[in-house]
Amino acid sequence: MGIIKKLPVYAEKVPGGGIVTTSIEKVLHYGQACSVWYLLFGTACCAIELMCTGAARYDFDRLGMIFRATPRQSDLIIVAGTITKKMAPRLRRLYDQMAEPRYVIAMGGCTVSGGPFYYDSYAVEKGVDHIIPVDVYIPGCPPRPESLLEGCLNLQKKIKQQKLSDWQK
Amino acid sequence: MTKDALKDYVAGHYEGKLTPLDTGRFDLWFEVKAGDLVEVAQSLRDDEQLKFDFLCNIGGVDTTERFEAVYSLASTVHKHRIDLKVVMSHDAPEVDSVQQVWPGANWFEREMWELYGINVKNHDNLTRFLLPDEWDQGHPMRKDWDAPDFIRMPEPGQ
Repeated sequence: MGIIKKLPVYAEKVPGGGIVTTSIEKVLHYGQACSVWYLLFGTACCAIELMCTGAARYDFDRLGMIFRATPRQSDLIIVAGTITKKMAPRLRRLYDQMAEPRYVIAMGGCTVSGGPFYYDSYAVEKGVDHIIPVDVYIPGCPPRPESLLEGCLNLQKKIKQQKLSDWQK
Repeated sequence: MTKDALKDYVAGHYEGKLTPLDTGRFDLWFEVKAGDLVEVAQSLRDDEQLKFDFLCNIGGVDTTERFEAVYSLASTVHKHRIDLKVVMSHDAPEVDSVQQVWPGANWFEREMWELYGINVKNHDNLTRFLLPDEWDQGHPMRKDWDAPDFIRMPEPGQ
């Protein structure tokens, strides 16, 4: 029902008729933002919070976020956990396999900057943005489900603000 | 066998080869010379009273003055454990493989060689193990190790 209630915001009603006019841009991006399917990709403790967010109490599904077990069907990759230098090429490959348009959320301190492994570590990549472009950063160790939901809402906002002309870039 | 009895038994039967270390830790510690390691290990495993048939772990230590290899042994028969320590020089650390005694030592020794640069003699597959395949930056667990993107923890107060 949400889309019906919010539709007048995006569309103008033609008086007397059942016809609405809007722009393709708005409808397309509205639909895109309301069905962001994310790749199941958890490498450390952040994955536990991700699972918790996906479960009944926080209910990720109500944002239209459903997990996919393959990058081919995913729009979003939530990098949940430490990325080691050995894992980095695999993460890059998963990202490359996703169909465009694709988005990335860096969840937790490890993916933002290396987190607790910033000092004295030979094995951990210090920030996942060295490997793939990141749309939303969520700090925390690990972030609570509320933080993750906030991050996803921000990502949806970002998707809705896209312009069709951006696609040609 | 109680812990004290075990200590007396091992110290008595391996006099001159195993030296008890007073570490204050729960488990018993013994120091063994690098040359005696395989012989002592074989004997510890086969002795009816000891039966150390399980090698839990092999650890490396870099004290910046010397290298140490630590062997944690357990007996699944008698339910007791001890730790062995081998001390090596810092310039050319080298130890014999205990694969012929405990085949499971294979991976532990590869790991020790890879991270500490402790050469393991008579190992049948001393190759790259845990680090990335294209790794060419030496042995990262050494105290004097450094790399361009390696950030050392600042000293407190700095």
